[in-house]
Amino acid sequence: MVNGNNDKPSVKQQRDARRQEKVAALKKQQERARRNRLIGIVTGSVAGLAVIGLIVTFVVTSGQPRENPRDIVVEGAQTFSDLTANHVTGPVDYAQTPPAGGDHNQIWLNCGVYTEPVPNENAVHDLEHGAIWFTYDPAQVSEAEIEALQDFAPSTYAVVSPYEGLDSPMYVSAWGAQLPFSNVTDDEEDVSDFVTKYWKSGDAPEPGAPCTGGIDGSGKIA
Amino acid sequence: MTDSGATGGSSSDEASGRAPGRRRTRVVVAAALTLVLVLLVGVAVGRLSSPNPVTPGTESVEAGFSRDMQVHHEQAVRMAMIVRDRTDDPATRSMAYDMALTQSQQAGQMFAWLELWGVSQAPAEPTMTWMTRPTLDGSYGDHEHTPSGGTEGSPTPAAHQPGGRMPGLATDEQMAALQEASGVEAERRFLTLMIAHHRGGVEMADAVLARSENRQVRVFATGMLQSQESEIDAMEDMLAERE
Repeated sequence: MVNGNNDKPSVKQQRDARRQEKVAALKKQQERARRNRLIGIVTGSVAGLAVIGLIVTFVVTSGQPRENPRDIVVEGAQTFSDLTANHVTGPVDYAQTPPAGGDHNQIWLNCGVYTEPVPNENAVHDLEHGAIWFTYDPAQVSEAEIEALQDFAPSTYAVVSPYEGLDSPMYVSAWGAQLPFSNVTDDEEDVSDFVTKYWKSGDAPEPGAPCTGGIDGSGKIA
Repeated sequence: MTDSGATGGSSSDEASGRAPGRRRTRVVVAAALTLVLVLLVGVAVGRLSSPNPVTPGTESVEAGFSRDMQVHHEQAVRMAMIVRDRTDDPATRSMAYDMALTQSQQAGQMFAWLELWGVSQAPAEPTMTWMTRPTLDGSYGDHEHTPSGGTEGSPTPAAHQPGGRMPGLATDEQMAALQEASGVEAERRFLTLMIAHHRGGVEMADAVLARSENRQVRVFATGMLQSQESEIDAMEDMLAERE
């Protein structure tokens, strides 16, 4: 590296100088290594803390999954728009069976569990008030399935009633929406989604209007 | 974090003097990374420690209260409407009118909160589950918070169970009996049921105050607590006059 300069400094001096140079370089290197290690430790610690902080944040904030009920897609459900909502005195020919909204009687049906068919025109008024209506075809369901349905239905703002001649064993209907299903055990997920989305829905024309104080149908057991 | 520490130490031995540029780049990258992480942590800590950090979620105490109390209020409205049909007594009728409209409006407030919070009206968990959650001070029971109530029937309100019946709700039979009575008998039944109903409402308001820091909910529950407690006193006097 530095050899073959000239003959002024002695061999010993040259050796000393070289050694000192080496020592200085080594010291510098060690210092640099120490500094780098320190930077590494600090950086590493901060990064580690940050990662822990982020994990905690995600755990805390993801504890409550947030999905607006309006964004729920209910598998198998149909929706109907442009429904009229006039008060009429006579029978109404509904587009859906069972009905899922439309013109209706001025008096609403008291919500609850019925063992006999209820008048469409009064029940549709409940849907306008944000209630949901569970119907089952007695010819297609067992006694146990009916009981399970009655237990499943919310205690307010829900009607449960038999409905003959359905093309599915059971239906749940809201204002402008409907889901055919077999029973609340096999189809629990879809029916629960429907309830979450439509029970007392703010999208009903008159949410919060009463579902009591109207008329009882026959066979009301709860 | 051991990774970056180790590489910082060992690689510098070989790299020293050979590639000072590369080392500088590494330091700059590490510094930038640290800065980003520090910012992220700062934001996270800030969000979590602010007084009202998040909109109540679907399984929050606030949402549970808002759903259950709507159902509770709806029954009170029904009772008040029934007694108005069943008696001519002006004092009872005007009290019932007041209660029906007040509680109907309050149910609407709670309905609107749930809408604004973007959560369903339908319960995300069984009724009353929110009342089994720990209180803000870390204790579970809220018995000591219950003022005046709990003298009739059970001395201290039993611990509530998820899916349990809300305190003070009238049974279907009691509602039917009220519907069938008339005159003073209807008034007595109404007052008896509504006193118990209000006590239950007070207990639920107490329970949410012990568990929520949400300002809207606290203002609401505090107001409800005061008005229902004073109505309990008024109804007790009215009931005594009719015995």
